[in-house]
Amino acid sequence: MDFSYTDEQETFRHELRAWLEENAPEGWLEDPELPDDDAERVEFLRDWQRTLADDGWAGVHWPEEYGGRGASLVEQTIYREEMARINAPPQINLIGINLIAPTLIEVGTEAQKQRFLPKILSAEEIWCQGYSEPEAGSDVASLTTNAEANGDGEWLVNGQKIWTSYAHVADWCFLVTRTDDSGKKHEGLTVFLVEMDQDGISTEPIHQPHDDRTFNQVYFDDAVASADLVVGEIDRGWDVVMTLSAFEHGSTSIYSIEQRYLALLEYCRTETRNGTPLVERDRIRQQLADFDARIQAAKATHYRNVSKQAESGTPGPEGSMDLLISDELRHDLLNFAVNVQGPAAALWENGHNAFDETSGYIRSYGAWIAAGTGDIQRNIIGERVLGLPKDNKSKTSHRSE
Amino acid sequence: MDARLTEEHERVQETAREFIESEGGTDLARRQADGENVVDDLWDELAGLDYTAITVPLEYGGFGEGMVYLAALLEAAGRYALPGPLPETAAVAVPLIRDLGTDDQRSTYLPSVADGDLRLSLAVYDDETEPLPGSIQMGAERLGEAETAEFRLEGTKTLVPYAGETDVVIVATRTRESQGYDGVSLFAVETDHDAVETTRMDSLDWARPMYEFSIDGLTVDEEALIGPLHGGGSALVTAMDRFSVAGTAMLVGAADRAVELSAEYGTEREQYGQPIGRFQAVKHRTADMWVDMQGARSLVYYAAWALDGDEPDAARAAAATKSFAADRLHRVFGDDIWNHGGMGFTWDHDAHIYLKQAKSWRNFLGSPEANRDRLIDARLATERNR
Ligand SMILES: Cc1cc2nc3c(=O)[nH]c(=O)nc-3n(C[C@H](O)[C@H](O)[C@H](O)COP(=O)(O)OP(=O)(O)OC[C@H]3O[C@@H](n4cnc5c(N)ncnc54)[C@H](O)[C@@H]3O)c2cc1C
Repeated sequence: MDFSYTDEQETFRHELRAWLEENAPEGWLEDPELPDDDAERVEFLRDWQRTLADDGWAGVHWPEEYGGRGASLVEQTIYREEMARINAPPQINLIGINLIAPTLIEVGTEAQKQRFLPKILSAEEIWCQGYSEPEAGSDVASLTTNAEANGDGEWLVNGQKIWTSYAHVADWCFLVTRTDDSGKKHEGLTVFLVEMDQDGISTEPIHQPHDDRTFNQVYFDDAVASADLVVGEIDRGWDVVMTLSAFEHGSTSIYSIEQRYLALLEYCRTETRNGTPLVERDRIRQQLADFDARIQAAKATHYRNVSKQAESGTPGPEGSMDLLISDELRHDLLNFAVNVQGPAAALWENGHNAFDETSGYIRSYGAWIAAGTGDIQRNIIGERVLGLPKDNKSKTSHRSE
Repeated sequence: MDARLTEEHERVQETAREFIESEGGTDLARRQADGENVVDDLWDELAGLDYTAITVPLEYGGFGEGMVYLAALLEAAGRYALPGPLPETAAVAVPLIRDLGTDDQRSTYLPSVADGDLRLSLAVYDDETEPLPGSIQMGAERLGEAETAEFRLEGTKTLVPYAGETDVVIVATRTRESQGYDGVSLFAVETDHDAVETTRMDSLDWARPMYEFSIDGLTVDEEALIGPLHGGGSALVTAMDRFSVAGTAMLVGAADRAVELSAEYGTEREQYGQPIGRFQAVKHRTADMWVDMQGARSLVYYAAWALDGDEPDAARAAAATKSFAADRLHRVFGDDIWNHGGMGFTWDHDAHIYLKQAKSWRNFLGSPEANRDRLIDARLATERNR
């Protein structure tokens, strides 16, 4: 057992750290702020991703032949840690980089890889993930968005997707459709790579509780999907869906949670109430310490998961544990961060306090739903790790299969 | 980085499991709880398997392994709540003597420990209600000004695990007027001395009994002093950290077993025409038990590794381990009772054995609250330059 980093891994860290010192957006290291204006923000984020891609820091986990760095799992962990340390701007093409590209690399055709991967990396083409529908969320396999061959080598797509993150800025969609409804629910699904900029597709932003509009409804009305852009085989899309879902569960945000914790700690150290620093109040000290222990536990657990995965090669159900732990930790921490604001917790953006986590706290509710809810993760652990019987409804349906 | 147990660790766990199962598994704890002394026989067998020699340095006939190796073994032992002062001896006393002892002390004690001829325990509390370090009050008075000093020990220590089944107890005393861990000195006291009396207490955990340890005026010479006079405090704190991590390793093993029992029962037991594990109330509770157990296990491994390597965050990791695990694992054992319905609330089911162990462990050597205080102090001291 060894929790330490090798010299080689430390070199990776220092290389990245030095690169970030040089290349972080101007002023970011002193004051990490995204532009308020929607369009400006998108431009800013595209620029950032291009900067990363130019020097090989966008898809570090991709194989080198596709423009990645072939980073080991431990190096990916270091990457996340360092990005969290400077509170780096998010990668706007996160879904493309972390979910879609690894799936294409695993099951796509060579032509698809050549065509799409470079532009995913540079954010020239932004991607969205078209899984959920109004009647099919946890139960993805019950989706009804339909694709039919029109005889000219094209497929016509009709239906509706919902909660599709970034669809409003996306150029391409990783779309799951039903191509045969005569069999079981998870048979007869097909995954297409679909161009968003066409007459048959329209998007409508959904207003979220934290005031952003980052996910959308997407309508397909005789939208065209090209036959050579099927991923995997026609009617055999479920395996592809599951491949992507494994990547979706197989990472952690614990490092950015730790950064928030450290910021909260600093706040509690300097902020006083009735002349006493918050951190000297027993109730607050105890809570802060418990978060500290939970973060240490989550990190060590992640290291163990990564070590296991490094050998087995595939992200296993342990990813669901990482996800469950970090989603709940993030939520509890941000909830607490708002609570310690005192009466100012009644304000959305409280001008008096240097520390404001209100919108993060609201957003945390979305995070524990997005990649499959906590209930779904518990099903995965119960059924796939502990061998408990599958519940009747989920037998052929939800994301855990 | 490879944060998994090595194949060797896993092999040790496997042999330990096979051995303990062949001896009756949790029956050993049940027999011990019934008042039988199973420790003597068991210890010979443990020594035969070299388990008593794991942490003893090579030059004294041991394997020179550290906390990680021991934690792996203790996890296996904890599955069956194995009785006996293995944590006290291998995780606490041996490293103390190894790190602080004189050459004479090492060659007196360590080879006998390795051979299984000597068991040790640790006495810190003078009072069952005062927390540490305030509860360390017993004085050791220095006699005369001679070059080779003699000390006189007098008083009663309490909450000494397995004192009646050990040969030597390391006793924390105050050798000058002091507070906290300053002015603390450690003495090795033999339990079969005429001036010493051990009395079994009415312990919550019958399988891991606590004892009173009375010393009725005992004069010892310098050879009994382990480590520097007045300066044993920081070593004692580290020893207690090792003890905490070792004890938690046992609880993790028990929790792993409790999850297993719940999962097995969830697939076998039927109600309303289906296995109860299909009900998500049961399934999700069991999944949560597993996640909490894994979190505690990760902390044990990390802390054990940090203690072995003298990492700067070793004390913090030990504090995190106790504060995270104590109440969460206690809940795991309670949930195991719950998952088993009426069956769970019987003497025959193992859940209560684990539950009692967890509860009696909770405040011992520092409550989770006290450890959270340590943890946040350590964090505040280092966080700026992180
Ligand atoms: C911020 C955000 C971003 C998202 N981005 C995307 C995206 O980019 N692309 C995309 O396709 N989707 C996206 N989603 C959708 C997300 O994947 C779904 O919301 C999620 O899978 C849950 O589905 P649902 O909303 O239909 O809820 P439902 O499935 O209807 O669930 C409602 C409740 O029932 C529970 N439940 C459902 N089934 C079970 C079961 N078998 N066992 C126990 N409990 C169950 C759930 O846990 C939940 O509490 C996003 C969601 C959010 C919040």
